[in-house]
Amino acid sequence: MRSKECVAMILAGGQGSRLGILTQNVAKPAVPFGGKYRIIDFPLSNCAHSGIDTVGVLTQYQPLELNTYIANGQPWDLDRTNGGVFVLPPYTSAEKGEWYKGTANAIYQNLGFMQQFNPKYVVILSGDHIYKMDYNKMLQAHKNANADATIAVIEVPWEEASRFGIMNTNDDMQIVEFEEKPAEPKSNLASMGVYCFSWEVLKKYLTEDEKNDESENDFGKNIIPAMLGDGLKLMAYRFDGYWKDVGTIQSLWEANMELLDDNPGCDLDDENWKIFSRNPIKPPQYIGETGVIKNSYSTEGCEIYGKVEHSILFEGVTIGENAVVKDSIILPGAVIENGANISKSIIGSDAVIGKEAKIGSLEDDANKEYHNTKICSDDITLIGSGVKIGDGNKIGVCCMVTADV
Amino acid sequence: MKNDMLGVIFSENPEASMGELTSLRSLAAVPVGGRYRVIDFMLSNMVNSGIIKVGITTPVNYQSLTDHLGTGKAWDMDRKDDGLYILPPKETGESTVDVLGGIDRLNGIMPFLSKSSQEYILVSDCNTICNIDFDEILDAHIKSEADFTLVYTKTGEIGEKDVKRHILLDVDDNNTVKDMHIYPSKQVTNNSYMHMFITKREILMDLVEYASTHGKHQISKDILLPAVSTMSVNAYEFNGYLKKIDSIQSYYGFNLDLLKKDVRDELFGLSTDNPIFTKIKDSVPTKYAKTSEIESSFIADGCKIEGTVKNSILFRGVHVAKGAVVENCILMQDSEIMENCLVENVIFDKGVILRSGKKLVGQDTYPMVIGKEIVV
Repeated sequence: MRSKECVAMILAGGQGSRLGILTQNVAKPAVPFGGKYRIIDFPLSNCAHSGIDTVGVLTQYQPLELNTYIANGQPWDLDRTNGGVFVLPPYTSAEKGEWYKGTANAIYQNLGFMQQFNPKYVVILSGDHIYKMDYNKMLQAHKNANADATIAVIEVPWEEASRFGIMNTNDDMQIVEFEEKPAEPKSNLASMGVYCFSWEVLKKYLTEDEKNDESENDFGKNIIPAMLGDGLKLMAYRFDGYWKDVGTIQSLWEANMELLDDNPGCDLDDENWKIFSRNPIKPPQYIGETGVIKNSYSTEGCEIYGKVEHSILFEGVTIGENAVVKDSIILPGAVIENGANISKSIIGSDAVIGKEAKIGSLEDDANKEYHNTKICSDDITLIGSGVKIGDGNKIGVCCMVTADV
Repeated sequence: MKNDMLGVIFSENPEASMGELTSLRSLAAVPVGGRYRVIDFMLSNMVNSGIIKVGITTPVNYQSLTDHLGTGKAWDMDRKDDGLYILPPKETGESTVDVLGGIDRLNGIMPFLSKSSQEYILVSDCNTICNIDFDEILDAHIKSEADFTLVYTKTGEIGEKDVKRHILLDVDDNNTVKDMHIYPSKQVTNNSYMHMFITKREILMDLVEYASTHGKHQISKDILLPAVSTMSVNAYEFNGYLKKIDSIQSYYGFNLDLLKKDVRDELFGLSTDNPIFTKIKDSVPTKYAKTSEIESSFIADGCKIEGTVKNSILFRGVHVAKGAVVENCILMQDSEIMENCLVENVIFDKGVILRSGKKLVGQDTYPMVIGKEIVV
């Protein structure tokens, strides 16, 4: 095996339980985003553009769809003779077998994988965020500072700082303290879940952490504080682009809708930093004589005969005549039949919305059986993948429909 | 499942006259249907039919074609065994007329043919656009025990001018070809040969060797026609949608056919799961602005539309600015129509820029063609 200066590890085993039905059968990184992408396309494309050609993807929760999606890594130019992308599920050994217990334990269990490439640095990423970032610049900063670890940080509004892991730094951006979700934040520099470690340091701390039975085996809670406690040099690397956590239905909806702004924060139409994805084999989209589409994103295989406004349509979506779709996200293959009305909703893959049905209805007689404000905040309605809504049915706002109605 | 048949596609067709569109590229590389090239249809048909080895002859102008095909990955033809072979001409110093004859082209790839292991061979032009299952035709060929099977389609009445571009077949009730009329002046039958045939690889090699050593050039006249009287030649009727692209008019007509749902559904194999593959560009989804007005149009990814688009085909990365009106047009990749332009019945080659306020109107029977990367 040839040596690699830097290996990336993507933590992609999370359930993302706050995404409700969207992650019932898939891990969060496989959740569709932005018309033709999945969340994991962002870190994978970032790796490809940053010149990192050896990437481990750690899977655990519902990995089947994610595994087939990543496959040989060809869409991200990661089908390499030396290196490439590797899906790394938990495994058993002669002594024992166990699930990934925490973020640090997941990486610990794969020390052997990384060791094969004899790396100098390891970049650890989470598969949960929408952002375009050159990890190589961060690696250069890490090298220049002669740091033991470098953590990417982004400025967040002060009033939201207590929702994040906050880095308190000195004037030289050296981290002096890390606080997970502090009630009274001293800084508004939030950790992005993007870490760069020098290999020997990472190996040592993961091995020690594993011996500590009381540890939660988590980077934020255990590894970073332990390194700070030992006086290691941890640097904050300031990132000032677009970065969004899409861990809730509301933030996922918002991040999608932001793409429709006149100058979107995350410009996907960037020749120099394309977001790669596994493309469907579908013909171009067709807008019929009766079709109207405004302020929207639509992609290959769509057939539009109704009215679409301020919405995102994924591949192979059909919008029937006189149907109205507004402020919504329609996932791949969903069919919105004639006269149906969809407002502020996320319609799952291959769902079928019957004729004259209403989704996200405010009317009194709307079906509220699936009302679920724990998952569906901000008046967003969610229809699960493959769910069929019968003709004329009205589904009230904030419902999460998990079965045919 | 894979079958025991080799595929050969001719990337040029001397009978096609595409003007500006083929001045810089081969016929097989002409962009069609929003995100495809002409070759995608025949190559995908072969792949979907279980053919695992395909050679494409490329006598001239093949840079854009080889660029498009690459290693064949998009068609799943980047294989260790077999896969896709691009076959440029041998440096023989012969004149181009010779190179363009079908027999000369096959003679030029004799080493490729003799090194292949497949028992059968399918030879096809690239410019008949359809979604066809060759595996079924191979089965029929084997069952019939014929030496050749020619694929044909039933045509309606062919105009007097067009009939000279057809090869018409006399076919009896047993599907045997009784006679061939090559480029006749009258429509003697309505069975039009589709320039696709199946035979045994070794039979073809023998006939090509014989024909080329006897100064023969044309496959139809010098191999198939003699075979009709000396060997057993069968016919197989294809009854799906097809369009032969051999002129600007037929090119324009084919693209506008894609605005019909039944044509799209059949041609792109949406119901049969026989999709048409093409090179991936990783374009973003198309963005429709608040001011966009779209009617009956076929639009690829990566476009940005702020104006009005009617009855048109837009390729990847086209930009139609505010106040611009596009009607009955084919706009190839990365064309840009600036504000308040009016374009009707126009074909834009790749990367054409139309500056603000310009007006370009062609005839619906004779569309205007604007060459690659021209700024108007």
